[in-house]
Amino acid sequence: MKDFFRRNGILILIAAILLGLVTAVVSMLLGGAANPFANFLGVVTTPVRNGISAVTNWVEERYSDAFEQEQRKAELEELKKRNAELEAKIREAEAAIQENERLYNLLELQPKNRTFEKEAAMVTAHSTSNWESTLTLSKGAGQGIAVGDCVVDEYWNLVGVVAELGENWCTVRTLIDAGTEMGGQLSRTGGAAILEGDLTLMGEGKLKLTYLPENSQLISGDLVETSGLGGVYPSGIVAGHVEEVRTDVSGMTEYAVIVPETDLDSLQQVFVIKDFDIVE
Amino acid sequence: MTRQDFFIKWGVYTLALLPVWFCEVYLLNRYPLFGVAPMLLPLAAMAVAVLEGTMAGAGFGLGVGILCDAVYFNVDGTMTLGMCLLGMGAGALAQYVVRQNLVGCLLCSLLALLCMDGMRILLLLLGGTTDLPAMLSLAGREIAWSMVFVFPVYALFLWVFRRVPKKTVL
Repeated sequence: MKDFFRRNGILILIAAILLGLVTAVVSMLLGGAANPFANFLGVVTTPVRNGISAVTNWVEERYSDAFEQEQRKAELEELKKRNAELEAKIREAEAAIQENERLYNLLELQPKNRTFEKEAAMVTAHSTSNWESTLTLSKGAGQGIAVGDCVVDEYWNLVGVVAELGENWCTVRTLIDAGTEMGGQLSRTGGAAILEGDLTLMGEGKLKLTYLPENSQLISGDLVETSGLGGVYPSGIVAGHVEEVRTDVSGMTEYAVIVPETDLDSLQQVFVIKDFDIVE
Repeated sequence: MTRQDFFIKWGVYTLALLPVWFCEVYLLNRYPLFGVAPMLLPLAAMAVAVLEGTMAGAGFGLGVGILCDAVYFNVDGTMTLGMCLLGMGAGALAQYVVRQNLVGCLLCSLLALLCMDGMRILLLLLGGTTDLPAMLSLAGREIAWSMVFVFPVYALFLWVFRRVPKKTVL
């Protein structure tokens, strides 16, 4: 056995080439579904990931309880003020909703309808590469999830899109990943643009909004939602807010830097939108 | 070395890979420094290649490569062949050019990380990504942060190397 590797060196190389080729071909043929070995490893390690995730979250919560109380108090005060403002707005909106309903009935219009089929999942692991921003979830093909499904957090903020699928796990490409590209819409002006990941901004946890509408007067804090154009992703899901507008390296065009509304680093539970029906 | 010794030795190497895998995939990626997390699995392959030589390095590199293909996102088989070749190259370099010690491991790890990130940048450029300064900055930070971990990873595998049976005493 001493010279096992020396005697079988060429066999090792052939095995590496064949395995590499088989994995590449299988990955290509499966079109987003994980290759058999990755799927097997994912299934086997799911309980381990769940356990580690639970322990890490518990430790982070204890740390937060112990050292971030002042910050929490300030946040609570801020939220109370915001809550009061929103309640006042809701009271004003009630009358408008009732009037809207009466007009719909009067004109016999089909009311707006948004139906979503969701699947709750736990975030069990974060990106293993610095070149991509991904999350691993605790649900997969076995629960009816498919590649391309949109993922949102509990506040209905966009998290990303399912990119790889295992039997009881899936990998989500987050919205800040450099490969992200989807239709966006400015809530205030209604202008359409493109939400795009960027390698530099990904490290800062941000993304950019390109192809800005002409004469768009963006204000810091403007909300950006998914446009839903093309019907692949649902519309009206909040992606983030405008932080600033920059000029690209060519100096010819402008883009907006978008800060995601969801906190990707501390996400614990998300919802995968398996199916949706939107009547505008 | 008997067949049993052989299996014990490579079994212990595989066990030593587990904490490295655990740290990379579940721990260090949650707390990035300068926006990056270190790559540890390639360092493990380089450490074993430096200690064990060309063909053993290729063999262990093959195993680590398969694991990397399963763990890393969007690599589709490239790591299996890549790590095998890098393991073989590092083993040969350590055997014939540099010494089979920490310095040799540092050099081989640096070259391996440069090869991996160089290849990744090349593929991204071919794929239409044009932001070369951003890619170079990311690669630089990633390699620098990963190189810090050569010391503990090499120490772990050196510990295994010194304690596993090399030949059966009769």
